[in-house]
Amino acid sequence: MFNYRVVAIVKRELKEKLLSKSFIISTLLIPLFIFGIIIVQGVVMQFKGDKYTILEIISESPALSIELESAFLKDKAIKESKYSITYKSMSRAQADKYVEGKNSELIDGKIEGIVFVPETAFKDKGIEYYSKTPQAFAVTSKISGPVNACLMDLFFKDKPIADEELKYARSNVSVKTYKVSVEKKVEEAGIGNLILAYLFSFLLYFSLIMLGSQTMQSVIDEKNSRIVEILLSSVHSRELLTGKILGVAITGVFQMAIWLLPAFMLISTTWFALPPQLSLDVSPWLLLYFLFNYFVGMITFIGLFAMVGAIFDNAQDAQSGMWPIMLAIMIPFFITFSMANNPNNPLANAASLLPLASIIIMPAKMTITGVAAWKVILSVLINLATVAAVFALAGKIYRVGILRTGTKPKWSDVVKWLQYKY
Amino acid sequence: MNALEVVNLTKTFGAIVAVDNASFEVPEGCIFGLIGRNGAGKTTTIRIMMGIYLPDGGEIKLRGSGIGQEFKNRSGYLPEERGLYKRMKVMDTLLYFAEIKGKTGKEIERRAEYYLKRFDLFDRRLSKIEDLSKGNQQKIQFIITVLHDPEFVVLDEPFSGMDPINTDILKEMILEMKSRGKVIIFSTHLMDFAEKLCDQIAMIDHGKIILQGSLKDIKSKYAHQNVSLEYSGDISFLESTPIIDKISDFGNSKGIRVKKPEDIQSLLKLLVDHNVAITKFNANEISLHEIFVELAGGDAGASIEGKASHV
Repeated sequence: MFNYRVVAIVKRELKEKLLSKSFIISTLLIPLFIFGIIIVQGVVMQFKGDKYTILEIISESPALSIELESAFLKDKAIKESKYSITYKSMSRAQADKYVEGKNSELIDGKIEGIVFVPETAFKDKGIEYYSKTPQAFAVTSKISGPVNACLMDLFFKDKPIADEELKYARSNVSVKTYKVSVEKKVEEAGIGNLILAYLFSFLLYFSLIMLGSQTMQSVIDEKNSRIVEILLSSVHSRELLTGKILGVAITGVFQMAIWLLPAFMLISTTWFALPPQLSLDVSPWLLLYFLFNYFVGMITFIGLFAMVGAIFDNAQDAQSGMWPIMLAIMIPFFITFSMANNPNNPLANAASLLPLASIIIMPAKMTITGVAAWKVILSVLINLATVAAVFALAGKIYRVGILRTGTKPKWSDVVKWLQYKY
Repeated sequence: MNALEVVNLTKTFGAIVAVDNASFEVPEGCIFGLIGRNGAGKTTTIRIMMGIYLPDGGEIKLRGSGIGQEFKNRSGYLPEERGLYKRMKVMDTLLYFAEIKGKTGKEIERRAEYYLKRFDLFDRRLSKIEDLSKGNQQKIQFIITVLHDPEFVVLDEPFSGMDPINTDILKEMILEMKSRGKVIIFSTHLMDFAEKLCDQIAMIDHGKIILQGSLKDIKSKYAHQNVSLEYSGDISFLESTPIIDKISDFGNSKGIRVKKPEDIQSLLKLLVDHNVAITKFNANEISLHEIFVELAGGDAGASIEGKASHV
């Protein structure tokens, strides 16, 4: 399969891709874009929009009202968000009527919400919140802290408990995380690996889709310009497909190597020091594995994209063939995010050994947590088998499709192509 | 000795039989024309030859043994619909197509330069293909076809979409390749080209070979009892004349078939007697067009161009 013809095709693809402006631009821009997305996501998630919220807090005892007022005045989050709160005290029956009377103001948004702290709260800590949008977590989360503190203060006030003990009871558990692995001693773990895993996934996702759709377009162009007929008079369609895919895959790996260079420097040299919570606990081998895995993934997905390009005449029609491949890239990409909560969740475990999905999930999984060697080897074997299967399928469809023009073929036609003797 | 033998070739696409049990031979050193109307199966036959399609049945033999990559390497192919990489430079394009034929190095570069100079394109060698005119892009395609010095030159409808200058360049190249002992195979629906260039032909219709052999033999076989006539005046009286078998109108000339060979003399006399001013009376002459119409039936005439304006 590898002969001077394939080499010539690979060389042409490399020359066209590596020396193009778009290669240089995308190599620089994609990492910026990914960081941009992460930053924008962070900023958007921070944005709560609950500034100047107007609240009324009603309690059944005047003593509690005073306590609440002082607690809310001291609360940092409430102060920062500039809440304006009025405090009242009245009985349950009165409060019900009061809330009813304030109905229109609540609906108009003149008052964001009314908090009612009943006497029973001293037994079950249950309080009530009336609002047009009671699901506004930004508001309710700010209320519960100070209310809880007041309830506790009043509850323990007359009980013989020292302040120290009370302080201990109030404090939360703080979890320090340590990563245990086979080859190393127990180590304190930062979030560096998690960030690296996200970075891996993002880079895989973007470059597979970007280079994939580029390849698809170039196949459509070759088909439309009919250059493919001259090519096929010299080379076999399988050689053409192989050369094309290898050319793109090598370009992709080269680009990925450039992107990973900073990470490689971080872990293999002491030139740069990271703060301990960002420290990376990966070996250079992981990066090499990642590059290898990326190469295999490239060949797989580029093969599929090229196949779709060969089926259709133009980019619009090709969209309908592209979405299954996009899903095969996107779903695993989202599964990698589920690993942030639990890297060993059953979905991620299963998907890390699934054809196509494994390519995207396994590297992220290996970065976050230890994966048994046999599982890694199995996933590599599965990926290689997938490449072989994709190649057989894509080769056949490519051969028929590449010379076919005219009406947009139906999927049933494409299935028939598999039986054609071409 | 036959350079190529096509034996019982069959190719179907779903329900359509594109090539139907076709057999013909291409002798060494000849210009071979595969002739037929559009959709007759010419391109499919040629694509099978080039290994682009696999046949459903039958085979093609290259000097007695099976055709394959070796034939691809030793032939230059110019398809009907021709494309190039638009953003590639002229010289890079030429060297790339030679490279996939297995030809690299200084010798090929020299040949490329020679052809570029010959076609006045040497100063454009570093231009991108997309910056060339359509006519110049066609010239690049000619060069690609012959740059690796192929033994076989395969041209599918080579004259379609070509201006008179490029038509002449291509004809010149075909004749030059022939003089160097190469085999030229081309398909066309333009009978005049075939008639002027070919030594050997095969006629294909509805996927079947309906006629094949050397052009000379075929013409002499079909030409007796046939007259090609150019004149001014009225010859409508001939239609009711018993010696006349058939009259075909080709615009500038008429093809007249008489019932017996000796009737040709009577025909000439009749024309003179009726004061028809004869400018050309060519006995035992028949055009390929007439042969094709006769063999492929009346409807074939409409889809075959007897004349090309710029021959």
